[in-house]
Amino acid sequence: MKTVQILGALGVAAVLSGVSIAAHADATLDKVKSRGSVIVGLVLSGPPFGYIDPKTQQPLGLNVDLAEDIAKRLGVKLESVAVTPATRVQFLQQGKVDLLLANMQLNAERAELMGYIPTPYGDAGGGLITLKSNKVTQWEDVKGKTVCVSQGSNYAKPLDEQYGANVKGLPSQPDSLLALKGGNCFASVHDSAPLHLLVSDNPEWKDFELPLPADLIPLPSVIWVRKGENDFTNVIDAFVQDWYRTGWLLEITRKHRIPITPLLEEWQAKYPVAKK
Amino acid sequence: MPESLLTEFIGAAKSVGLNYGFLASVSERTSWLRGVVVTIELSVLSILCSLIVGTVIASLLTSGRPWLARPARAFVEVLRNTPTLVQIYCAFFVCHMLVNQSVGAQNNPMSAYAWVVIVFSIHFGAYHAEALRAGIEAVPKAMRESAISLGFSRRELLVFVELPLAFRFALPSLVNNLADLVKATSLGSAIAVGELTYASLMIWIERDNVLEMMILILLVYGALTLSVSRLGFLLEKRLRMPGYGH
Repeated sequence: MKTVQILGALGVAAVLSGVSIAAHADATLDKVKSRGSVIVGLVLSGPPFGYIDPKTQQPLGLNVDLAEDIAKRLGVKLESVAVTPATRVQFLQQGKVDLLLANMQLNAERAELMGYIPTPYGDAGGGLITLKSNKVTQWEDVKGKTVCVSQGSNYAKPLDEQYGANVKGLPSQPDSLLALKGGNCFASVHDSAPLHLLVSDNPEWKDFELPLPADLIPLPSVIWVRKGENDFTNVIDAFVQDWYRTGWLLEITRKHRIPITPLLEEWQAKYPVAKK
Repeated sequence: MPESLLTEFIGAAKSVGLNYGFLASVSERTSWLRGVVVTIELSVLSILCSLIVGTVIASLLTSGRPWLARPARAFVEVLRNTPTLVQIYCAFFVCHMLVNQSVGAQNNPMSAYAWVVIVFSIHFGAYHAEALRAGIEAVPKAMRESAISLGFSRRELLVFVELPLAFRFALPSLVNNLADLVKATSLGSAIAVGELTYASLMIWIERDNVLEMMILILLVYGALTLSVSRLGFLLEKRLRMPGYGH
C-alpha cells in the first residue's frame, strides 16, 4: 500500500514538473540544452533535400547538412525524426520535434500557427513534370487535366484555383511520382529542384521532362519552430545569417546541385561574405 | 442550412476553441459535403457488389466440384491474407499501369474510384463467402435430403433452399463485414479518392484544424456504421423464421 502511495506521489511530482517546464516562456532552448540533443523534423522524400542513403541507411541531403550544422553550433547531438508533409505541423506542435527543416515555405497561414526563423535558407517553387509526348508549354495547359501533388502541398491551391487543374493529393511525393509513371495522372507538381535531378540523372525518367521554365509560386524556405520561442528563434537566426556570411550556404547548395535562384542571390547580397 | 445558423455555429465553436471556419467557405464546405456523399456512394456500391461476389464464391466453395472449389478457395485465401491497403495500392499502381500499357493511357476507362470499388468488392466478397459457406454448411442434412427427394436439381437446391437459409444464419457476420467495409472506405484517401477522409485531410492540411475535422469524421462514420448495423438488425428480425433456431 505504502509503495503505491509513494509511486503516486512521484507520479504527481513528475506531472507537476512537466507542467512547469511547459509553462516556461522559452522552453525549447532550455530543453535542448538539458537534453543534450536537438530534435529536428526532416522530410526525407528524395534527393537533394533529404533522403536515405541506400548503402548506409543514413539520412543525407541539404536539410540533413543544415540540421547537423545547427546541432554542432548549439553544441548538442542531432536527433533526426522523419516527418511527412501531412504530419510535420503536428510533430512540431506536439513537441515531438524542436524545429522543422522540412521543405516548408513561408506563407501567411503557416506564420499564424507557428514561429519561423526570419532569414530563409533557400527558396522553392513548383516544377511540373510530365511526359515529353504531352507537349506542355505553359501552366495553362493543365486545365481540366489530373495533376498529382503530395497531400499538404501548397501547389494544390494555385493549380486548382488559378489553372483549373483536377488536383489529386497522394500521401507523399514518391506516391505521386509513381502515379504519374503509372499513367494515373497527366502531370505531377512538386518542388522543382529534386525533379530536375530526377529527369537528368535517372534513365527510368528519360521520357519525362520539366517543360516550364518558370516555377509555380516560388517562396522562401524557412526553418519552423513553435510560436513564441523568441530566444530559440534568435539563436538559430544568427546561425542562418552566419551561413551566408561564411559563404557556406551557397557552397552546400551547389554541392547538392540545387540551382542558385535569383532570390537566394538577393539574400546572399544582404549578408555578404566577410573578407578575410 | 441557412447561412446565419452556420455563422452562429462557427462562432459558438470558436468560443470553445474549435475552428470550424471552413464551413464559412462555400468551396471548402461543398468539397467536404461531396466527400460525405462519395463515402456513402462508395459504401453502397461496394456493399452490393461485395454481396454478389460473396454469394458466387460461396456457391463455388460448396459446389462439391474440386475444379470449382479449389480455385475459389485459393482466391479467398489470397484476399483474406493480404492487407486491404496493399490490395488498393496494387490495383491503383500495378493493375492500372498494366491496363494503360495494353490499351493506352487515353483509352483507360479505370479511375481510382473504380479500383477501390473493385478491390472492396472482391476483398469483402471473400469475407462474405466464408460467412455464407458457414451458413450453407449449417443447413440440416435432413432438409437437403428432403429437397433432393422432392426432385430439386443441384442449382434449385442452392438457390431455393441452401442460400436463403445460409443468408439467415450468416446475417450477423455479414453485417459485421459490411460495417467493416464502410470504415475501410477511408483507405480510398491513400489514392486520392475524394471520400470523407480525403476531403477532411485536404481541409486540415490547409487549416490545421485536425481535432475539429476528427470530430466530424467520427460523427459521420459513426452514423454510417450505426445505420448499417441497425438495418442489419431489422433485417434479422424480419427474416426470422419462428421455431427455426430463433
